[in-house]
Parts: sequence; C-alpha cells; structure tokens
Amino acid sequence: MPIDITMPRLSDTMEQGTIVKWHVAQGDAVESGDVLADVETDKATMEMQAYDDGTITSIAVPEGQPVEIGTVVAVMAEEGEDAETTPAPAAAPAPAEAPAPAEAPAPAEVPAPAEAPAPPATPHAEAPKTRAGHVRISPVARRLAEEHGVDITTLQGSGPMGRIVKRDVLSAVGATQETTASVPPSAAPGAPPTPAAPAPAAVVVQATPVARAAEKKPADLTVSSGFGLQSHSEPLSNMRQVIASRLVESKQTIPHYQVSMAFDMDPMVEMRTTLNDQLKSHGVKLTFNDLVLRCCALAMYTNPLMNASWGGDHIDYHGDVNVGVAVSLPPERGGGLVVATIRNADRKSLRAISEETHVLVDKARTKGLTVDEMSDATFTISNLGMYGVDNFTAIINPPNSAILALGAIQQKPVVRDGQVVVGHEMSVTLSNDHRVVDGATAAEYLVTLKDLIENPGMALV
Amino acid sequence: MPMAREIEFREALREAMSEEMRSDPRVFLMGEEVAQYHGAYKVSKGMLEEFGPRRIIDTPISESGFAGMGIGATMLGLRPIVEFMSWSFSLVAADQIMNNAPKILYMSGGQFGCPIVFRGNDGAGGQLGSTHSWCVESLYANVPGLKMIIPSDPYDAKGLLKSAIRDENPVFCLESERLLSIKGDVPEEEYVIPIGEAVIRRPGTDCTLVGFGRTVYFCEQAAEELAKEGIECEILDMRSIRPLDLDAIVTSVRKTNYCVVVDQSWSFASIGSEVAAEVHKACFDDLDNHVHRVHNDDVPAPYSHDLEQEMLPHARKICEAVRSATYNA
Amino acid sequence: MSTTTTPNLKAHEVPIPELDVLKSWLLDMLRIREFEVRAMQAYQNKLAGGFLHVYNGQEAVAVGCIAAMRHTDPVITAYRDHGHALARGLDPKIGFAELFGRIDGCAKGKGGSMHFFDRDNHMFGGHGIVGAQCPLGTGLAFATKYNDEVINGGKSDSVTACFLGDGALNQGSVHEAMNLAAIFDLPIIFCVENNRYAMGTAIDRCTASGDQITNRAVAFDMEARTIRGMDVIEVYREMTEIVEWVRSESRPYFLDIDTYRFKGHSMSDPRKYRTHEEEVEFEANDPIDKLSRYLTSSKLMAEEDIKAMSKSVRSEIREAVAWAKQSPVPDVSELHHDVYADVWGPFTGTSLPRYMLEKRSGEGGDADGA
Repeated sequence: MPIDITMPRLSDTMEQGTIVKWHVAQGDAVESGDVLADVETDKATMEMQAYDDGTITSIAVPEGQPVEIGTVVAVMAEEGEDAETTPAPAAAPAPAEAPAPAEAPAPAEVPAPAEAPAPPATPHAEAPKTRAGHVRISPVARRLAEEHGVDITTLQGSGPMGRIVKRDVLSAVGATQETTASVPPSAAPGAPPTPAAPAPAAVVVQATPVARAAEKKPADLTVSSGFGLQSHSEPLSNMRQVIASRLVESKQTIPHYQVSMAFDMDPMVEMRTTLNDQLKSHGVKLTFNDLVLRCCALAMYTNPLMNASWGGDHIDYHGDVNVGVAVSLPPERGGGLVVATIRNADRKSLRAISEETHVLVDKARTKGLTVDEMSDATFTISNLGMYGVDNFTAIINPPNSAILALGAIQQKPVVRDGQVVVGHEMSVTLSNDHRVVDGATAAEYLVTLKDLIENPGMALV
Repeated sequence: MPMAREIEFREALREAMSEEMRSDPRVFLMGEEVAQYHGAYKVSKGMLEEFGPRRIIDTPISESGFAGMGIGATMLGLRPIVEFMSWSFSLVAADQIMNNAPKILYMSGGQFGCPIVFRGNDGAGGQLGSTHSWCVESLYANVPGLKMIIPSDPYDAKGLLKSAIRDENPVFCLESERLLSIKGDVPEEEYVIPIGEAVIRRPGTDCTLVGFGRTVYFCEQAAEELAKEGIECEILDMRSIRPLDLDAIVTSVRKTNYCVVVDQSWSFASIGSEVAAEVHKACFDDLDNHVHRVHNDDVPAPYSHDLEQEMLPHARKICEAVRSATYNA
Repeated sequence: MSTTTTPNLKAHEVPIPELDVLKSWLLDMLRIREFEVRAMQAYQNKLAGGFLHVYNGQEAVAVGCIAAMRHTDPVITAYRDHGHALARGLDPKIGFAELFGRIDGCAKGKGGSMHFFDRDNHMFGGHGIVGAQCPLGTGLAFATKYNDEVINGGKSDSVTACFLGDGALNQGSVHEAMNLAAIFDLPIIFCVENNRYAMGTAIDRCTASGDQITNRAVAFDMEARTIRGMDVIEVYREMTEIVEWVRSESRPYFLDIDTYRFKGHSMSDPRKYRTHEEEVEFEANDPIDKLSRYLTSSKLMAEEDIKAMSKSVRSEIREAVAWAKQSPVPDVSELHHDVYADVWGPFTGTSLPRYMLEKRSGEGGDADGA
C-alpha cells in the first residue's frame, strides 16, 4: 500500500511548513530514519525523516512551496508486494522503528521504547499502512471508527489508494443488520454481492462490483515513476549545520580509535523475558537498551578513567555517571538527532532507568527536550541494532571521551562448551578519545561490560 | 389528493397561468407565438380565446425588447409572464434578464421589485444542434436576485408555476421540450408548491442522487439498474434551484454517505459543482467519498442523434458514477 | 431649425407659462448645474466614486420636457440621470447621499450616480447599460396603458418619457423597443438627447444618417421631429404638443433634441475628440444664460434677482452636500437587504429608502404597496 508522507508539525505554533530541500527524489529507495527533506517552519529549519522503508513514488510538494501541516508532500511505496507474507520480524522495524534506544530485532520484539504509536499486534504487517493520524480514510469512515472505537491503523483500506472507507470500518465493527442496510452490497470486502451479477455484456451494468474492485488493487500499487534523479544543491537546515560542525570538530580534533567485542546475549535475552513476564502486571517493560545502559553505567563505576573529558591542559574526571542516549527524531521534531541524558545512571534501578528513558525519548519525539535534559552526559550509547546492523563505529560526542556503538542482537552459530550451537550475540564497538583513554583502559572497560552483560543478574543489584 | 386526473405537463403549465390570470388581472402572458399560434409548443393553447389579445400577447422576435418590456411593466405593478420559445433565445435578452430583472430592487434601494416570470424550454430537445440546446440553469442561477424552478412532472409544474406567478421576485421557470407531453396526476383542486423545496422521488439507503427537471428521469432509469446490483439510490428532485433545498440533500447524504449530482448543464462552474461544494461543506464528516457529478459532456450540443444522446447525463453515466462513488466500480 | 413630420402639431400655440413657472425652471436648471459642479468636486475629493456623468449644458432638456408632462407620467433615462431626477423633484441632498454611497441616498447607496430612482416622483431610473432603459420605458408605457384600459376599463391617459442619448441609437434593444412601441401603440416619447457624441465618438462617425436621426423613426412608422434643446421654453412648448398628442393618440413619438454636453462623457474624459473652439461656441449658448436673458430682457426678473437666486441655490446645494456627508454609510447588514423581496437564506427582505419611509410616516399615510 502506498504510504503518504505528510508535512509534519515541527513546532507548537507551526501551521505550515516549507520544504526547503528534498533529499530524496522520485524512485529513490529510502529507509526508515533517512532524512527525506529539510523543512522550514516558522521557527527554524528542521529535518523530516522517513518512518518506513520503501521507494518514493512521487513528490507532491516542490521545494519552496508552503503547505499546511498534514498535507501529503510525498508518497512512498512499501517494499515489494510481500507485506502480507513477510513474517512479523522482518516487518517489525517498519512501523515504529525507534532509532535510538538499544533494541534488537530479535524475534517478536516490539521495537522501540517509545511505544506510543505502536499498533496493536496485528498478524499482518500491512496494517499500519501509514502512521496513525495520517491514515487515508474517508470522513465518515473516520467518524464511524471513532464512534465504534475502531483503531483505524489496524484497518486495510479497500478504497482507491488504500483509502479506508465506511464498509471497512463497518466490517471491522462486525456490522449489524441495521448498519449494513446503509452499506452498498459489496461493502464487506471479499463478500460477493448478493444480487445476481448481470452478464458483462449488458450495456449499463458491467462487471460485478467486487470483481472490479479486486482487479483494480494491483494497479493502485503501481503509482510510480516519471522523473529521474536531478542534480541540485540546497542550503543546510539549522540542525544539519549543528550536526555537521560538531561531528567534524569531533572527528578532526579527537584522536579516535575503536575497540570491539562480541557479547553472548543468551543470558540477557532469557533474563529479560523472565523479568518482563513478571513485571507485566506492573506495566513495566524493560528493553535491551535499558539493560545495556545500566550495565554501561555500572562498568563505569569500576572503570572511572572512562568517565572523563579532555580539558585542553587537563582531564576532568566526573563524579557522576550520566549516560547519554542518542535519539533520532521523527518528522514532527524535524528529524535529526538529540542525546537524552540519564543522570546518575549507575545509581538508578533498572526500573527507574527504563521509565526515565521511556519518558525522555517520548518527550524528545513529541515536545522536545529541555537543555538540562540534553546536557552533562559523560558517556554516550548509540544503538542501530534495530536495523540489523552487525556493528558500526560511532563518532564521539564531545566533551565525552567515549561512545559505545551497539549492533544487533543476532542469532548465530556460536561455540559453547566446544559445541557449535545457535545463540544470541551482540557486537559492540567502543570509540575512544586517545588523549583521555588508552587502549588497555578501553579494553578493560569492555571486559567489565561483557562480564555484566553475560551475567546480567549483577546488573539487577 | 381527491379527484386525481392525468394531464400533460404543458396542460399543467397552462392551467397554472390561466388560473392565476383569472384571479389577478395584473398577470398577462407575452412571447413569440403565444397567442394565435397557441404557443410554439402549444402550452398556451386556448388562452387567447379566453383572455383576449390584450393579455395573451404575440410579440415580434425581439427577446431583448419584450423581456425588457415585461420588466419595465413590473415597475408599475404588473405581473408579466414572459415566454421564451426556448431559453436558448433568452441569451439575446441576457442584459435585460440578468442585469435588470434580478438587480432592479437592489439598484433602486428597495423602490422597485420585479415580480415577473420568464419561462420556456431548456436543454436539449431533439437534434436541435448547438444554438438551440442551451441549458441555461448554471448560467443564470449564478445571479443573485432571481429565483429558478425546474419542475419535472405536471403536478410540480403547475404548483410551482403558480407560486412563481405570485412571487414578488423574478422567477425563471425552466421547462423541457422532452417533458411537455408526459402525463401525470394533477388534482382539480387548486394548490401551490412552495419554491425552494425538494422532494424525494425514490427512497433509498445507499447513495443520494440529486437531479432536477429532465435529469430526474435519467436518475430513475439509473436507479432501476443499480437496484438490480443491490445499490438502492435515493433520488432527490430539487424542483427549485434558487433557493436550493440544501437541507433535503444534507438529510439524505447523512443517511447514505454518498452523493451523485446529475445536472444537464456543463460541468464547469455549474449547479452540479455548487451542490458538490455545499455537500462537501455541510456533510464533510458524513461522506465516504467525494461527491460525484454527472453532466452534459463538455461540448456544444451535437446534431447527430446518437452523439446528442451520448452527450446527455444519461443513465449509464449515472450508474458508473454511483458505482464509483460507492466503491463498487 | 425645427423640422417636423407631424404638421398637425402646433407648438407655437402653446402659451409661454407665467413668471412663477419660468422662475421655477430657472431655479431647477441652476440647481442641476450647481449639483453637477459640486458632484464633480466631490468626485475629485473621492467623496463620490465609480463613474460620474454630469449633465452640464443639457439642463433645458430635462427641465423643459418634464415641465410639459404630468407629475404622474413616468420618466426613465440612462446613466446621465441627475438632471432628470432633480427636475422630477428629487431632493438634492438625497442625490448627494446616493453619490456618496450613504444610507440616505435614493437607493441607500446601492445604486450610485447611474441609478437615481425616485418612485414617489415617478422617476424610474437611472440605467447603466446604453439603451437598456428603452425596453424598460416601453414596458412602463405598456403598463400605464394596460392599467388604464385592461384593468380599469378606461382610456390610456399617461405618457412615458424615455430619455436616451444619440449614442444609444445604434443599440439593438433601442430598435426593438421602438418597434414594440409602434406595434403595440404605446404612449411613449423617445426623447433623444442628441449631444452629438456617443461618449467620444462624434455622431457622424458612428450613426448612419446622423445628420437626420429622425429618419430612424420612419422605419417604425413613428412620428418624429427635431427641436432645439438649449432653449427651455422651446423644449417645453414642443414637448407639450407632443405629450398631448401622444396622450390622445396613444402612439409613440421620436423626439430629436439638439443639445450639447459641456463636460466630458465622464470625469475621466480629456475631450480630445473635439476642439476647444467648438466647446466655447456651444458654451455661449448656455441654456441657463438663455432663460436668464429672456427673463431680464422681458423685464420679468432683474439681474440682481437672478444673482440672488443663484446664490440661494449655491447655498442650498452646499447644505445638501454637508447634509449628505453626515449621512451614515450603510450598515453591512444592508448588503443582503433588497436582494429579494422576501426573506430567505442570508437575505433579509426589502424596504423603501429612509427618505420615503419618513415622508410616509410624516404624512401618516400607509406604506406604499404595489
């Protein structure tokens, strides 16, 4: 189903936005998290990011033209036709794809700590064809859905371009006798019309309604093409300028080096499952990110040399362990990245860390973080595990002297007690400022971390 | 409705005019061939004999002149009925009927109203070609200060025309050559039908069909076909275009959630587009699809029989629109 | 220079009216002239908007023609209508209020300069489209005759004066109207104010047989004559004969009135199409001066009396302008008033202008019906 990409609301006072630069063109393949465009609002120029994987089929709004929030600015086609057949894991990243917190694409994992828009677990991945609030739906269908409490993100639209229409809602409601009375005969998708379908040869009456509707569906998906890539250049958004200058400064002035290590994640997967089962009644749901963050903070406690900053003529060793979590922002916040700080993470319970992370990530993506909530990190975690990234290296976030890059938790053949078995493994890469942290120090830190992660019970207390 | 009897559409028009002329000496009929010829379409047959040449007045072929003469006469209290043999010919009187009749009350600050009726055949007749097949409804309904009625059957024709003759404003009555011979029940007793009230011609639950005048019959044909497919259309006969009974449309659309407007004028800036805009505004949260419109094709009326028939907003086009609107296409 | 195709009419037998009547004509002409001068001033001061077509130079036509008619005989004209309305008795302050777009105007500020209607004075407008008033005027004549004969069973007893400019002669609706008037034997006089220019086009450049426009009447089997329009007494005497003939015969009449428009077509007219010499020549033939000279040379009025009258008119018009300036602009609720006679949708029905309502309540009479 095509997915509408709409003008996001990027500030509380924003009513319309102008795409000052498209970073994608018709035909481009995009992945969730890709910056699609820079959007100028009444306040600033922000980034608009992709929330789905797929191909841009059309650009609806050209650069420089102000449009209202909610206006469709581009349309994207989901990858392939396999939406219905692809099992849940493959599809899982698409809908909620929270980029920042550590979350592995482990089977059946509902991604992202920020679960607000997470659709109820539907067996078919096609359900959330667009984000809630941006669903293509007829006005009366929307009203009926509200009246009957139907979550429209769970519906498969049978109208043109996947529009959810009245009959879709009513069939979801389980239409009563009275309500069906006002539904045209072919209302229930798939249900053949009760009246006899006249012969196709009839002048007035043509093919049966349902048959025609079914025929049309594939055609709807082939909205595409027209223009190729176009060479052009565009000015930078404010956020992009900040990211560029800070990371160039970091990469050019900090002598980076990396150390990597693979962790056996079986114990943590098992523990998390157990904990979440037991905590379910409390409404607590720990993520891998929460657990890893806690471990990182504890590891800092035993490796205080890591918890430091380069001061030019001195090194600052910090008394607090404040762990930053890189959070990628949704289009509503203009895309881009912010780092939310979990202060004194070494002294907080897992549950507190989980709650605070959840709150901050959610806030970053909706209302935005205060300066205080983004300051004073002494160490940063960046997680691309949910994308299935094996491993990667991250650029240090000054004035930190280290950043930990988390890869995906993957099932792979591992050697356990001399036997090759299937186990969960996660690869991490620690980038360090050699002015502050020497290689051995970094390696010791990873060893400590490995110990904690592979014996996660230690992280509980 | 006691004492029902069947009379032709043209007889109903004649009865309306004759009854009003009997009761109000200020009313007179004027137009080309209305008297001795009995009307080009025999609408005024016998009226000359009853009312005489001072009140049933043959005019020269001077639409601008006699239309303006009628308007001028209203300023001294008369209540003319001006027949255009065809509304197509009213175009040469456009200045009078668009500039003077509907505006004189306003231009004179309330000093002079214009209680006049203009009536005649509107729309495609039978192979009359481009100049004689005008559908003027969209053209004229655009103008504030006038009222417009488009009856579809003899009962409405009589009741509405009587209201029009009694109205203090200029009323444009659009008839169809194709309907003049149809018969319908019309009571002997006097009655009037208020201008501005639609009527449901066929109740239905699945899609609202908005028509007026001749298109009501196209709608009925389409509704028959669609009923075979299980789509029950509700047909609204608007009867009046100004004022337009939007409430009736809204009530129906709130029930059906779908709306198709059938208008025999061209689509651009038309009554169909007006209805669509108003329905979208008033029924936004009730619509499951945008309002669909069926119009004459956007071409001058052709002469050739088959081409002319295809141009009209006929039943097949309506069926297609309804299926599309209700997602059954 | 009077040419006539109706030798039976004897204008010279019409007596010259008494002094009081002549004085009232002078007063009317002075009032029209001063009204137009102040209207021009108001236009340039942006008190009046739109188009402004002034009547300077043609005053004897409206005053003389209308003086020859009964007050109940209908009058209708085109857009250069201030003179006719004032000659018919419209209070200048009501006229200025209309020019200024105020609620006290004859059309509540909704008509403007081109739409001076005054029902109580049987003035039926004030029409903006060249020639369009002629079918309407024909309808007025039809209606008076219908009322008199069909409804009341009597004999037609009214005469309609339908004024038009020479430029309108080439408009189809005028020809249609004349034909209708002729075939229906309507009591109407087509008073052609022949000021020699259709806007900026001289009559010989746009009108066939422009040197003898009464030829047009022949085609419609209509009586016609040409008269001098700068002499109000002559206009009156000729018009009197014609009015009474039309009244008694119930036949239309075509009257070619030779006159001159001192000012341009409208306020934006630089008058490049005619010479200054020509203007000077005609201004020497000013109808107001002509009547003044007649009155003084006949020892009917002294120069001082005329000056005093002129001064009094200036004062009256100044007060009228001041009064009109004080009149409120129409409330926005007026926007949807007078569109329809009844109330529906956004429309709030209709009512007579304030000055007419006040007159009625002042007289304690009932509101005008019809």
